[in-house]
Amino acid sequence: MAANFWASSHCKKLLDSDEVGHVLPADQERGLTAEDVKLIKIYLSSYIKNLAGHLKVRQRVVATAIAYFRRIYTRKSFTEFDPRLVAPTCLYLASKAEESTVAAKLLVFYMKKIPPEDKGFRYEIKDVLEMEMRLLEALDYYLVIYHPYRPLIQLLQDAGLSDIIVTVWSIVNDSYRTDLILMHPPFMIALACIYIGSVIKDKETRTWFEELRVDMNVIKNIAMEILDFYENYRNIPEERLNAAMAKLPQSYVNAVGD
Amino acid sequence: MGKSSGEGRYIKGTTLGEGTYGIVFKAIDRQTGRTVAVKKIRLGKYKEGVNVTALREIKLLKELRDPNIIELVDVYPHKRNLHLVFEFMESDLEAVIRDRNIVLSAGDIKSYMQMTLKGLAHCHKKWVLHRDMKPNNLLIGVDGQLKLADFGLARIFGSPDRRFTHQVFARWYRAPELLFGSKQYGAGVDIWAAACIFAELMLRRPFLQGSSDIDQLGKIFAAFGTPRESQWPDMTALPDYVEYQFCPAPPLRSLFPMATEDCLDLLSRMFAFDPNVRITAAQALEHRYFVTEPAPTRPQLLRRPPPKPEGPPKPSELISPGGPVVLSPMSKAVRLSAVPGGDVHSFGRADKDMGKDPGSAGTLGGTPFTASRIPMSIDASQLVRPTLNSVDRSHLKRKLDMDLLSNQD
Ligand SMILES: Nc1ncnc2c1ncn2[C@@H]1O[C@H](COP(=O)(O)OP(=O)(O)OP(=O)(O)O)[C@@H](O)[C@H]1O
Ligand SMILES: [Mg+2]
Repeated sequence: MAANFWASSHCKKLLDSDEVGHVLPADQERGLTAEDVKLIKIYLSSYIKNLAGHLKVRQRVVATAIAYFRRIYTRKSFTEFDPRLVAPTCLYLASKAEESTVAAKLLVFYMKKIPPEDKGFRYEIKDVLEMEMRLLEALDYYLVIYHPYRPLIQLLQDAGLSDIIVTVWSIVNDSYRTDLILMHPPFMIALACIYIGSVIKDKETRTWFEELRVDMNVIKNIAMEILDFYENYRNIPEERLNAAMAKLPQSYVNAVGD
Repeated sequence: MGKSSGEGRYIKGTTLGEGTYGIVFKAIDRQTGRTVAVKKIRLGKYKEGVNVTALREIKLLKELRDPNIIELVDVYPHKRNLHLVFEFMESDLEAVIRDRNIVLSAGDIKSYMQMTLKGLAHCHKKWVLHRDMKPNNLLIGVDGQLKLADFGLARIFGSPDRRFTHQVFARWYRAPELLFGSKQYGAGVDIWAAACIFAELMLRRPFLQGSSDIDQLGKIFAAFGTPRESQWPDMTALPDYVEYQFCPAPPLRSLFPMATEDCLDLLSRMFAFDPNVRITAAQALEHRYFVTEPAPTRPQLLRRPPPKPEGPPKPSELISPGGPVVLSPMSKAVRLSAVPGGDVHSFGRADKDMGKDPGSAGTLGGTPFTASRIPMSIDASQLVRPTLNSVDRSHLKRKLDMDLLSNQD
């Protein structure tokens, strides 16, 4: 996509960690903790990836969808927007915004087909289309999202590390299980993933990083966040997730426009 | 964007016109007192939610803000229809060109071209291709400012391998690489179209009026001569390339007898056959044409046609019965399939994703038109010395003593 991240709305809208980590008052009232919210987001980010796998859309559509999803819940309550409808609708909207539209019918077909059908994912086309409009509003119609993938390829080439691209690419994929995309320029996330990858693969990158002269503290913090995910959220116990999901309302009121 | 949004913010007035995607109303913005144009996007026949063309226009206009690009003031849903609120524009360049009562001086033409190129330069800086440049899409405000509008066909470029459809632009404004079927075109297509508009301002009629794609190329070659291999080395490799009978170029001066040398020089650079040689919008703005006499007329002094007759049918249709054939927009979303070397790839396990992407990594340094122009995403203003030490490294390493999630899910 466009290379000019610095001039984009995405860049201007980068958030601080307390802006993404906070639990909205309405969610607190339902007993949702920061930890619950984190689990729900990880779970539904994986769900988006899963659903996208069936729909055979590109990686960047998945990445954009997850970014929309996470951006929405920095502003909107889980009590107002059902994440089980928001997640697939984000994928639908992202497919349009990334110019590879998925048919709503097909989306809903797979929503019903893939597990967990039992957890309240029984939505129809009209629900998705109504939610699409509400999501646009919630996103304030800002739809352009930049991702680490493109800078990653360039940076790896520059570092002469193209041989570890498989490892680093999967780390970048996993970075979407966190809110990092809302907080840091994509190339910084790419660098943190390269950093982790180079440590795993025992590659000497010190000189290269030094020559880039980027803020290594930021890179380190991003890397730590990703490592925290691997360490603590890689396999979320079913009961913990169910307990968090059980705090969501049983039914939602849908309202579009006036 | 203002605090309040929605139907209640606007006092609806008369109908201004109707486009492919819906009706446009004149309205007053209660919040600012400003006159606006509200485009109500028709819902698609099929159950596909928000119209993709409208979505594209919203997406791009939210990223663009420039005095020479139409301002998207607000967007709101009402009764399940999306409404796009634009600043109100009194006229458009087509109406100016067709209005026989308006004399266009050299300074006026220079002013219109400067505003057009400024708008384009902003788009291109943000990696947006307009792809539908024509006089009818260059709107003119009450203050005389010209603004690029109609971004429904626009695309973000910058993906070196991304292939685009070549069915864009009204035919008369289509660059030769598009007519030869190129799918990896760049900002040069907008420049070619701007050159056609430049010529049209001088001639007061569309410059190259082809009746088919083949005829369009014929018209182009009749005006500028059939390009030689040396002029445009990549031409013969284009998908729909056909050989045209050689035809020599008449002197450009013979086509534009009134133009100054500077004017012809800029025009010919904008009409360069090879898109890699064609002047960019930013370079064009630096051309001596904009510095030498006469100075560009100040926008507020430009003569404007009387306000458009309001309500359908579209004024442009009334004025130009035999007008340019606009191909149907490529809004019907194309499901992109994997292209060899493209960044379009199937989704799945990380390692499967990867199986394809190194391919695109391989081609990245190679041929595609934008590859060399993609700036590195490192901001020089943010530079700080690194501080990572060996303790951090071993700490990281310890933490990383586990395999990665993606390799197993
Ligand atoms: N910002 C505006 N200010 C004033 N009038 C406008 C504005 N935008 C559009 N209009 C009027 O509404 C009409 C319809 O505009 P719209 O952009 O929907 O379609 P179009 O450009 O005429 O046709 P197409 O859909 O084929 O591009 C225009 O012809 C013009 O008369
Ligand atoms: Mg138009």
